[in-house]
Amino acid sequence: MTDTVSPSGRGRRLRQRFGYDERNAALFLAPVMVVLMGVAVFPILYSLYLSFFRIKLTRPNQTPFVWFDNYTDLFSNELFWVSVWRTVTFSVVSVSAIAVIALLVSLLLNQEFRGRRVLSTILLIPWAIPYVANALMWKWIYDSGYGALNGLLYQLDFIDKYMIWLGDQDKTIFLIANAFVWKEVPLATILLLVSLKAIPADLYQAARVDGANIWQRFFHITLPAMKPGFMLVMIYETMMAIRHFDLFFILTEGGPGDASHVLSWHIYVETFRNLSFGSGAAMSYVLALVTFALSYIFIRTLGRRI
Amino acid sequence: MATTERANLIDDRRRLALSHLTRNVVIFVSAIVLMLYVLAPVTWLVSSSFQTEAEIVSVPPHWIPENPTLMNFEAIFGATAEEEVTYETRSGQDPASGGYIPSTAGNLLPAMGNSLIVATLVVILNLLVGVPAAYALAKIRFLGRDASVYFILVTRVIPDIALVVPFFLVIRKLGLLDSLGSLVLTYLAVTVPFTVFILVQFFEGLPDELDKAARVDGCSRFQSLVRVFLPLSLPSLVAVILFTFLTSWNEFLLALMFTQTEASQTLPIVLAAFTSDFTISFSFINAAGVLAIVPPVVVAVIFERYIVSGLTAGAVKG
Repeated sequence: MTDTVSPSGRGRRLRQRFGYDERNAALFLAPVMVVLMGVAVFPILYSLYLSFFRIKLTRPNQTPFVWFDNYTDLFSNELFWVSVWRTVTFSVVSVSAIAVIALLVSLLLNQEFRGRRVLSTILLIPWAIPYVANALMWKWIYDSGYGALNGLLYQLDFIDKYMIWLGDQDKTIFLIANAFVWKEVPLATILLLVSLKAIPADLYQAARVDGANIWQRFFHITLPAMKPGFMLVMIYETMMAIRHFDLFFILTEGGPGDASHVLSWHIYVETFRNLSFGSGAAMSYVLALVTFALSYIFIRTLGRRI
Repeated sequence: MATTERANLIDDRRRLALSHLTRNVVIFVSAIVLMLYVLAPVTWLVSSSFQTEAEIVSVPPHWIPENPTLMNFEAIFGATAEEEVTYETRSGQDPASGGYIPSTAGNLLPAMGNSLIVATLVVILNLLVGVPAAYALAKIRFLGRDASVYFILVTRVIPDIALVVPFFLVIRKLGLLDSLGSLVLTYLAVTVPFTVFILVQFFEGLPDELDKAARVDGCSRFQSLVRVFLPLSLPSLVAVILFTFLTSWNEFLLALMFTQTEASQTLPIVLAAFTSDFTISFSFINAAGVLAIVPPVVVAVIFERYIVSGLTAGAVKG
């Protein structure tokens, strides 16, 4: 007799032999897939669809299909480009500050000393604070009438009268970035500490035997070993920075003028103040695409780990 | 010979001691600087929440309250706050300024309740959908596993602001605007991918033999998950619960879009409304801020170990 194993039988044998199990996997994955399809995939696709219509909530019965008009309008809108520029400034400033401060803090916390555990616990405080409370706190610190920043600088004789900090076009975005950095440093530090801890101690021993001084050891061992950690921190924090909204909403509402008119604020104003949902959708789609481009590297890095 | 050797040794020791001293001084100074950097802003907020309105408007500021008062917290926790503390009564107590405690002060506690309900439901749903998914991705071999992993990672980087417009239109159509349900649903989008991610990392660390042994003993996949893996993965479950809870508790953007009245407003929304009202007393706003900060900070400090291990396993907060 010839071998008459049916394809399905062969498949079953393969499954039993190598432990492949699609049926159970499907069962276990079904709930998460349903949820993610509903709350992530569908909205993102729906958003794409919406971005081809002119949807004004003030004219609910007229929603013409306009092809790419929302996008072309967007790219010819001056305020949009202002907001892109503000977003870039904010992100570059905050992400570089986060990287530098987190590097210093992680080097410190990588040392053995008394009180290290207490210090790392304290460091978690900014991470845990809600963004809204963080914004409220910094708004009060920057307050032009009674804030701590004015009080401190005045007492130390750096200024001779109180300043309207957030009202200064040249300073606003940096002050907001400062509040953002303060809150994001703990997470970045924890991530950098992982790659610091992974450096084998004998590497330093060997370098010391070879006569490398502390700076050489830092630049030739520590920094290169931290590269993956840095990548992760930079990409993740950039993704957080370009979409950040809460601080801008509470501290400045995009002002003064357009000094802190970032992209997320622009989307908010266009959608919920001008009630123009089509162009709002188009803009959020642009933002999502930028994030996806950025996160490609991020996903590649993380995907390799699972 | 011997004496020069000894001299060298002493010299070396002295140099070592000196470098130890420098090291300790550098560490001490940086530790102090770091502590000030982290704690100074929070301390200032806490300090101003205990000041009277007359004191808080002093120039330069009082770093430590001279006449600490609980007035602001009483207004939040006092059951009859709405009638008792009005513009008139407050001005009477504190004629130095017009700053007053808003009649919405009483909304803070219900808003906290809303936040608590939403966060709890989000945590439960996350565990229900996340645990089986993570088990399947970590321990079951099937075609399309890699694709599923990448799919979940992609959903994880979707910016929340990109979801706002479609969510808003759908939720409006469903008539769910201004309900806690809309928040629970939308928060799943920002929490579930991260939950799955952390749990997969953890399950992968547990030996495959556990699974096989359980199955040989006659357990189904489901029983193996519930009886063998869940008890072992308690630390990662704690981490997931904490992250999900804190993310929901702190979320602002989506809540801003979907809530309108006290029925569904969460704590961040009520808080944000205070900050934009220039007539409200500074010290009261600060007290509200302190109240919002305390629960998550206490949780973070108590569960520090789980949070740090979760953050390192999941690499990044979602």
